[in-house]
Amino acid sequence: MPTCSRNKRSAWTADVPLAALRRGLLPSLGLGLIFVAVGSGCSDGRVRQPVVDGGAVEKLRTELVSSTAAAEGGEDEGATGIGWGTLKGRFVFAGTPADAKALSVDKDTEVCSKDGGKLLDRSLLVDSSTKGLANVVVFVRKSSRVKESAPADAPLVFDQKQCEFITPVFAARVGQEIDVHNSDPVGHNTNISGTSFNQLIPAGNGTLFKPAAETAMPTAVTCNIHPWMKAYIVFRKDGYVGVSAADGSFTIPDLPAGELLEFQVWHERSTGPNQALGLARPDLNWTPKGRFQVKIEADEVKDIGTLEVPAAALGG
Amino acid sequence: MNNNPADVRHPRGPRPVWGMKLLVLLVLLVMFAASGCGATPPAWFRLNMVEATKQKLTPEQERQVATVISAMFGTPDNPVALPETGLDEAKLRLAAGPVRSDIVGRKNGLYREHCAHCHGVTGDALGPTAAFLNPYPRDYRPGIFKFKSTERADKPTHADLTRVLKKGIPGTSMPSFALLSETQIDALVEYVKYLSIRGETEIGLIRAIFELDEEAEGKLPETREFLVGERLAEVVEKWKAADTALIDVPEMPADIDLVESIAKGRELFYGDKANCVKCHGPTALGDGQANDYDDWNKYVVEWTSKEVNGDADKQWVNRAHRVLDGDTLEPRTIQPRNLRRGIYRGGRRPLDLYYRIHAGINGAPMPGAKGTVPPEDIWHIVNYVQSLPYELDGELGADRPMVARDRF
Repeated sequence: MPTCSRNKRSAWTADVPLAALRRGLLPSLGLGLIFVAVGSGCSDGRVRQPVVDGGAVEKLRTELVSSTAAAEGGEDEGATGIGWGTLKGRFVFAGTPADAKALSVDKDTEVCSKDGGKLLDRSLLVDSSTKGLANVVVFVRKSSRVKESAPADAPLVFDQKQCEFITPVFAARVGQEIDVHNSDPVGHNTNISGTSFNQLIPAGNGTLFKPAAETAMPTAVTCNIHPWMKAYIVFRKDGYVGVSAADGSFTIPDLPAGELLEFQVWHERSTGPNQALGLARPDLNWTPKGRFQVKIEADEVKDIGTLEVPAAALGG
Repeated sequence: MNNNPADVRHPRGPRPVWGMKLLVLLVLLVMFAASGCGATPPAWFRLNMVEATKQKLTPEQERQVATVISAMFGTPDNPVALPETGLDEAKLRLAAGPVRSDIVGRKNGLYREHCAHCHGVTGDALGPTAAFLNPYPRDYRPGIFKFKSTERADKPTHADLTRVLKKGIPGTSMPSFALLSETQIDALVEYVKYLSIRGETEIGLIRAIFELDEEAEGKLPETREFLVGERLAEVVEKWKAADTALIDVPEMPADIDLVESIAKGRELFYGDKANCVKCHGPTALGDGQANDYDDWNKYVVEWTSKEVNGDADKQWVNRAHRVLDGDTLEPRTIQPRNLRRGIYRGGRRPLDLYYRIHAGINGAPMPGAKGTVPPEDIWHIVNYVQSLPYELDGELGADRPMVARDRF
C-alpha cells in the first residue's frame, strides 16, 4: 500500500519567503495547497488492512500443498473416568434492572396484543424478590463421554402463543425431534438463523425439525411476519445445557465425573464476545470469553453457589 | 522530492510578481502530481473487516487470518485452488487478474471486466458502483445465494449460477451475460464459487478464534489438518452436496383446470396456511410486512444497534463505526416482491416460482412452504401468482388503474 504523507505542507509554508507572501502570493499558494491536499488523498478512509508477509504466505502454502494429512491420534484422551455428577448454581443480577421496554406490535394486533396487553422485551428478566437472572445459558464445551439416556418418546415442543415464543431460550440435542408449534390463531413463520429452517407454521399447527449440527453459541430464532418475536436456541450433541430459571438457578445432571470440564456461559444482553458472559470468579478460572472450569466427582452435586452478574456485564 | 523552495525565490525583489506566482503554481502543480499514489499496487483481497471487528480480533490475529487465507487462496491476480476445493484452476485463471489478452481472440480477467465494479474484487459487494444500486449487489462471502433449484440452506448448483449469469436478474441491476461464450460464463461461475468459498472460509477462520482454547493464546493452528481438514472442508462439502440436492418437483397435475387452480391458489394466498398475504400484502403489491431485513442487512443492523453502541470500550466503538462506514453499505429494509408487475427475479418459469414457494428464499425473510403446503397446492399458488399481473378487479379495487403498467 502506498503511504501518503500529509506533513509536507508545514515544511513548505516555513520555507516560502515572507516577503513573497506579503506581495499577495498567499491566495495562489493557498489554492495550490488545496490541490495538494486533495490530490494526495489516496487513503479511502477505510480501516487499515493487515499487511501480510509474502514469504510467510509462500511457506504456509507449500506446507498445505505438500504435507499429507498429519499424523493423527494422541488427540483423543479416551473416556477414562467413571460415574456421573451434577453441576448447579444460581445467577443473580447485581443492580436494578430498568423497566422492560414495550415492543412495537403493528401486525395482527387483535391476537398479538390481546385485551390491550403489551408485549415486553424479555432480554433481561430479573426476579424482583430473589434478584435471580433468568435465561443464562451454561453448556459443556467438550465432553469426553455422554450418559446414555432413553430416547425421548415425544418431540420437544417449541411453541409460540400471542405472538411470542413461549420459551425465550430453548435447548435441544442435535438429532432430537422438535415440534415447532404455533398455538396462535394466526400464521407464523419460524426462522432459525444458521440452520436450514425457515418455514411457515400455520395456525394451530406444527412442523417437525431435527437439528443437524451444533451451534457454537445460542442462535436467534425469529418470525419474519412479526419481526418483534425473538428467541434463542442452542443445539448441542451431548445435551449438557442448563438454562437458568426465573430464580436464576440452573442444574446440569449426568455430567462425566472425575475430569476437568470446561463450561461456556452466555446471556443475550452480555457485552462479551459473541454474547459470552465473563465474570470475576478466579476460583473457577472464569475467563473474559465466558468460560469456567470445574471438576466433579462421581455422584457429587457440585454447587458453584451464587454467581453475581454486575449490571455493566449486561450493558448496564 | 527536489522542489527546493530556493528555486522560487527571485533574487531582485518585487518586480516580476506574476512570473513568480506562476512559478509557485507550477512547482505546486508538480508537487501535486508527484504526491499522488504512485504506481497502482497489485489488486488484493480485503480482509472481512466487519467480521474481524465483530470478533474483536487483535492486529496480530488479523494478520494471521490474512496470511492463512492468502496461502490457501492466493491473490486476485494469482488465484490458488487447493485440490480439496474441487475448483478448476485453469478456469479461475481465465476469470482472474487484470483484463488482458495473450492469444488473439482470447481475453483474460473476465471477472474484473464484467463483475468487479459492482461485486468488488473480493466479492464483498463493495465495488465502486455498489452503493448506487438498489438492490445492492450480492456479497458472495457468506455463501448465501437466493435463486436456485436446491433446498433453502443448500448451495446453488453450477447450473443455477450459470442461469443467473445468462439470464441476468430481472428487476435488478444484474444484466444478462448471454453474449459471452459458454467457456467464459463457465469460468466466471467457477470464479464466483471460488470467491464464495474463500469468503466463507475466511469468516469461519475469524470465528474459530473465539472457539480456541485458552492454551492456544489466540493463535489459530497453522496445520493442514485444521485449515484444510476442518475449515475448508466444512465449506466445500456444502458446495459438493449441492449438485445432488435438487428439490424434487412433482409434475403439475396434467388434468388441472386453470381457472379452478387459480381460485384455489388465491384462497391459499390469503389463507393462514401459506399466508403470502402477510408480506406480499392484501393487494399483492408487496405492501405487507416491510420493516424486516434480509440476512446481509440484518448482520449490519444488529451489530450497530446492539453490540457497537452498548460497548464500554469507546476506542473499539470508534473503530467499529469506521468499519461500518467503510466496509458496509447503508442497511435497507426488505421489499417483499410486488407480484403484479410480472417481474420475477429468480426466473419466470412456473418451475422457478415453485422452487421459491417450496424452499423459500435463502437470505431473505421468505419462508418455505415445504411440509406445510402440499405440492399440488404449491402449483395452485404458482398459477395464482402468474395470474396476478393480469387480474383486473378483485382486491385491487376499482380506484386503481386497470392496466398493470400504469399502476407504478
